[in-house]
Amino acid sequence: MNAAVVDVMKNGAHTLPAAHHDAGLMSGLADDVQRETGFENFGIPFCMTVEAESLGSSVDYGTIKCEPKIGKESFPSVRDVEFRPKRAIEKNKRARAIVDAISTLSQKYPDIPTIGAITGPLSTSASIVDPMTFLKELRRGKNDAHRVLDYVCNQLIDYAGLMIEGGADVISIADPTATGEILGPLMFGEYAVPYLNQLADAIHKLGIPVIIHICGNVKTVRKGLAMLHGDALSVDAMVSLGTLKSEISGLTTMGNLSTYMLEFGDEEKVRSGVRSLLGQNIDIMAPACGLSTSTPIRNIRAFTLAVKEGL
Amino acid sequence: MTDMTKEELHRGLADAVVNMDEATSARLSEEAVERRYDAFEAIDHGLAKGMETAGRLFEEEEYFVPELLMCADALNAGVDILKPHIKRGKQDIRCKIVIGVISGDTHDIGKNLVKLMLSSSGFEVVDLGRDVPPQSFVDRAVEEGAGIIMISSLMTTTMEGMWEVVRMLEERGLRDRIKVAVGGGPVSQGFADKIGADGYSPNANHAVRLAAELAATLA
Ligand code: B12
Repeated sequence: MNAAVVDVMKNGAHTLPAAHHDAGLMSGLADDVQRETGFENFGIPFCMTVEAESLGSSVDYGTIKCEPKIGKESFPSVRDVEFRPKRAIEKNKRARAIVDAISTLSQKYPDIPTIGAITGPLSTSASIVDPMTFLKELRRGKNDAHRVLDYVCNQLIDYAGLMIEGGADVISIADPTATGEILGPLMFGEYAVPYLNQLADAIHKLGIPVIIHICGNVKTVRKGLAMLHGDALSVDAMVSLGTLKSEISGLTTMGNLSTYMLEFGDEEKVRSGVRSLLGQNIDIMAPACGLSTSTPIRNIRAFTLAVKEGL
Repeated sequence: MTDMTKEELHRGLADAVVNMDEATSARLSEEAVERRYDAFEAIDHGLAKGMETAGRLFEEEEYFVPELLMCADALNAGVDILKPHIKRGKQDIRCKIVIGVISGDTHDIGKNLVKLMLSSSGFEVVDLGRDVPPQSFVDRAVEEGAGIIMISSLMTTTMEGMWEVVRMLEERGLRDRIKVAVGGGPVSQGFADKIGADGYSPNANHAVRLAAELAATLA
């Protein structure tokens, strides 16, 4: 989750898009975010494109208000994907800046967890292959689709390893394109679950816990969710975490205050939102999904404060 | 050749689309041509009917994005064969639509589904792609002689750009001639009303009904 909202950058010397490229600016911005918002961790990077960029796609780095976006997916079909040698992400300058920023933060603040954020296998794959063709090929070109996912997944495993070497305490995987709303239960079971698990298992081998975030409504993919190997599951605001917890035994839940409420609501609304979430016994309180860059800092502060007071 | 009545053939075409079966869609379309069945009817009562069903299944969450896209490919396999045989004058293009995702935003899966449902129901759709500046929507709509602009936005930080499109149309005195419809995750009927858009719909299937309604007001 990108918490570098415009309000935070107004007060600091560390701003986007420059901080997407520079380790010093990036760790500085993460520091500003942590201090200003009251979140109890650092989270970097502030973008979801570095993985796809390293594997071939062009990226537009956006502005202070607009996150980086894929300019063009580099391959028209899963059949055209050019398999780069192992550890390809490491060769990307921005990826190296991210790892350096993780090192800086974890050394400077050993008591505050640093979370390394990774874009999941499906989202990364659908950011290097034309997404429409890719989604069809999940059904029509299964062998090639699996080959691409496996390749991407292995590259992500190497990248996660690098973040962990740098000092990341937790890895958080967000896989927006793997939402049940797009994939449905069948494709979620065939493609989202195994590759998310492959990645999570590899991270666990390095002794590091994993957060998995699944966007959107999950009502059609509950079965698949129960099979995920993450240590914590984070979902969007329309999902009742209380219900999810009762359905999946032993689930550690994370979430899920509406990011729309955080952007458009006021502090009182935020506080009452937190109160209702506290009633659901959520394990890790957090925004439900990616924050809009226009989210007012006072609402985020009201959120973190209410959570801390509630504890 | 099998012994199929026209109605059976239409049903076969519809089923081929719903079953994501490109080969059958193509084979039955060829059969329709050979039998000199009306090509426009084969599309309208066959393939397009199937796509309508697929759209409904998507709305009901029986089908998801990969399935809907496969249905569209089956539809197109048939349309490609039938289209050259449509008797001139018969094919009434309902209205030209310019569609795209507003600038700053690259979420284009929803927009692509809307486009696909629109073109399968007889609209001529000009796709401007994603990350499209408001000015381009207006310029291209004028160039193309489009009656409707459809804008998609998935981000609260970019949806304001839709407002810009409406304002530009007003400034250029085009507001009566070009209708604006909006959609995408954070967009709502309330937001559409606020920015003075002519319509909103929550999904691709409903977007077809909306476009038809808007086209009717243009006439
Ligand atoms: C998949 C996804 C992605 C994919 C997109 C792949 C692609 N090529 O489209 C990837 C991984 C690339 C991605 C990237 C990002 N994403 Co994203 N993403 C999503 C997600 C999970 C699903 C969107 C989707 O495709 N849904 C499925 C389709 C079928 O549904 P739909 O788009 O709503 O369309 C339907 C209807 O709305 C309607 N419709 C759509 N358009 C139109 C238009 C008209 C005229 C009409 C009538 C109807 C209509 O019909 C469609 C079919 O029924 C959403 C969350 C969500 N629940 O929506 C976040 C979400 C949109 N993303 C979000 C964010 C923040 C990002 C990033 C900025 C992440 C980052 N930090 O870098 C980047 C975007 C960079 C940029 N500037 O563009 C946020 C936006 C927050 C905000 N500010 O409002 C969301 C809401 C999630 C969140 N809270 O974090 N994302």
